[in-house]
Amino acid sequence: MVHGKTTTIKLILGLQNITSGKVNINGYDIEKEFTHAIKKVGAIVENPDMYMYLSGYQNLKLVANLYKGITKERIDEVVKLVKLEKRINDKVSKYSLGMRQRLGIAQAILHKPNLLILDEPTNGLDPEGIKEMRELLVTLADKEKMAILISSHNLAELDNFCNKVCIIKNGEVIETSEISKIKKEASQEFKIFEVNDVNTAKKVINDLIILDENKFKLNVPKDEVPEIINKLVENKVKIYEVKQEEKTLEDAFFEKTGGNIIE
Amino acid sequence: MSNLIKNELVKIFKKKTIYITMGVIFLLLIFMNSMIKFANRETSLANYYLYNESYINSIKEELKTLDPDKPSDVTTYINLATEIEISEIMNKYKEADWKLAIINERISPYISERNTYKYGAEKNETQVEEINKKIEDLTSKLDRNDWKYFAEEDLETAEQKINEIQTQKEQTEDTQIIKNLELELKNAEVEKEIAEYRINKNIPYGNDYLNRAIDNLQNAVSSIAGYDSLDRDLEYREKLDYNEYVKQEAESRYILDTGININESGSLKGILQDFYSQFGLFLIVVIVMIAGTIVSEEFNKGTIKLLLVKPYTRNKILLSKFITTLIMIVFVIIVTIIMQILIGGVLFGFDSLGMPVVEYNFNTNSLQEINIFVYLIIQTLTQLPMIILLAVLAFAISTIFSNSALAITISLLGYMSTAIINQLVMAYNLGFMKYFVTMNWDLSMYLFGGLPLMEGMNMTMSIIICIAYFLIMMIPTFVIFKKRNIKNI
Repeated sequence: MVHGKTTTIKLILGLQNITSGKVNINGYDIEKEFTHAIKKVGAIVENPDMYMYLSGYQNLKLVANLYKGITKERIDEVVKLVKLEKRINDKVSKYSLGMRQRLGIAQAILHKPNLLILDEPTNGLDPEGIKEMRELLVTLADKEKMAILISSHNLAELDNFCNKVCIIKNGEVIETSEISKIKKEASQEFKIFEVNDVNTAKKVINDLIILDENKFKLNVPKDEVPEIINKLVENKVKIYEVKQEEKTLEDAFFEKTGGNIIE
Repeated sequence: MSNLIKNELVKIFKKKTIYITMGVIFLLLIFMNSMIKFANRETSLANYYLYNESYINSIKEELKTLDPDKPSDVTTYINLATEIEISEIMNKYKEADWKLAIINERISPYISERNTYKYGAEKNETQVEEINKKIEDLTSKLDRNDWKYFAEEDLETAEQKINEIQTQKEQTEDTQIIKNLELELKNAEVEKEIAEYRINKNIPYGNDYLNRAIDNLQNAVSSIAGYDSLDRDLEYREKLDYNEYVKQEAESRYILDTGININESGSLKGILQDFYSQFGLFLIVVIVMIAGTIVSEEFNKGTIKLLLVKPYTRNKILLSKFITTLIMIVFVIIVTIIMQILIGGVLFGFDSLGMPVVEYNFNTNSLQEINIFVYLIIQTLTQLPMIILLAVLAFAISTIFSNSALAITISLLGYMSTAIINQLVMAYNLGFMKYFVTMNWDLSMYLFGGLPLMEGMNMTMSIIICIAYFLIMMIPTFVIFKKRNIKNI
């Protein structure tokens, strides 16, 4: 989908020329003071790039050579962190996609960056791989104290482990804020009722939205809920469950963007 | 910076490509050395002159079908009859090369002449008799088993000629005639000299390097005398030829004086001496391959992004790749030469490495002896501008267009068309082309005071031109690499 996620990341990393605006990382301008700005940044752009004819360890060694003070111990530590100890001396061409992703992250965090930029880190991974990746990123944020910037179109995934989100549509930023805040703004206070007979309920209560033959939802504030329950009970409708409707980031996203249309 | 270069070297040497190409070159070197070894044996003249029996028989059959009295057949008839007769005499004397040489050089013209009188339109019995006597005389001398007899006769003839010319010279005052006589005198003198060489150095007639030196000496001396007798200044191309003959004369005399075959190509020294003209292509292919892939491969595989988000400026990244290419040039040259020394040593023996390379120095007008390894280093230095510029061409194209195939192809075409371009430029005397890169990037023409390809060129100018071409290719490469957006891969 051409919305500009990867381009944004490339602009941040100085891989593309900036036509207007500015990128500052750790207080340095990426265009004017590139080497300073990029020093504390680790990144995977698009796919994890590595030399297929080298082993995982040799790939890490190449990266280690380009920074000062990366010891052998640090390499071993990172290998352990991404759980590649057993296969690190194999050629990368024999790695699975998930292992390549993890090696890519190892390459990116070897020099202890304080900003880690990942472009679709779970792209192409199986469910187990996605779970492992999520755990790894959470560990990194906690243990290595780094900010992680992820681009993704998989909203469920972002919902799971991000604090902040920035929505880009057709190259324009639509929204930047905390995930919880976005969800709250988006959700109207729908309550879901599970009953034995929706038709009777429909006659008693106005404006209800029928979901299926046992469920309907209703947009009412919390303090009006007991009154509605009373009404239903009076009309001999059996109530099994009443709950607050949960909004996902996806729902919020569609509300913000008005559907996924590329203009 | 050194870390970047180190990484580039790791990437090159961990790849199979370099080992495969160097391996192929190793095999090619073995193949070419073997060819030189088996092709280069001094072959007996019998291999050149003697026809096999079935061929002679077929000519005899053909002869029978021809009628010497028919005007349409007569030329062929004379030729075939001569051929058969010469071949029969040669068969009789095939045991010694010098005899075959004498038959070829002295007897066969007589046979041809006699057959013309015998079968041709103007028949002349007395002439036939006379020539037959000469042929018999010469053939009987072959039976005496002494080639020196012929050399002594040559000597006498030459001395007589010299005396005759000198008396003629004293009798005339016409400067033009004197000039012609002097030219003849030079030729007679070199004939005398050659006869003396044969007698003193014991060089029988034949086909070995000493006889080739004799031929070259004669050719060179008479050509030089011819140019000297001209009334005008020499044109530039004639000067180039003249220099070549001066060199040939000096070298031939050196060979005859010392008995050392300095042009021996079937030895380790000989192959190393011609290393760049024989095997230069091998080096260029590998070097251009490295230079043409070192940048574009990273673009094509996406790994360039890995490099570009490291704390180094783009200039440094590209420069490190270029320096790596230069290191690889040195590496490939050294490894190929070492492989050649090992292969040549096994096939031809290492002894020839002790022999010097003999070059004519036009500054001192004398021959100069140089150790083969020193000579090889000098040659390498003179070839470096060309090698580096070809590498830069491949490097620039591959960086600008991210296309290795294009880069390698264009650079190799550039190398292979150099000889043709230079020949055309010289043939049509295109003066403005003396600033063109292919005319200037081989500095070996300036060695030992040699004349450059065209008038008005000199080594300083050539080096400046090479540097200019270097910058013309390098500066845009760096600018474009620095500005370049990394597209989605």
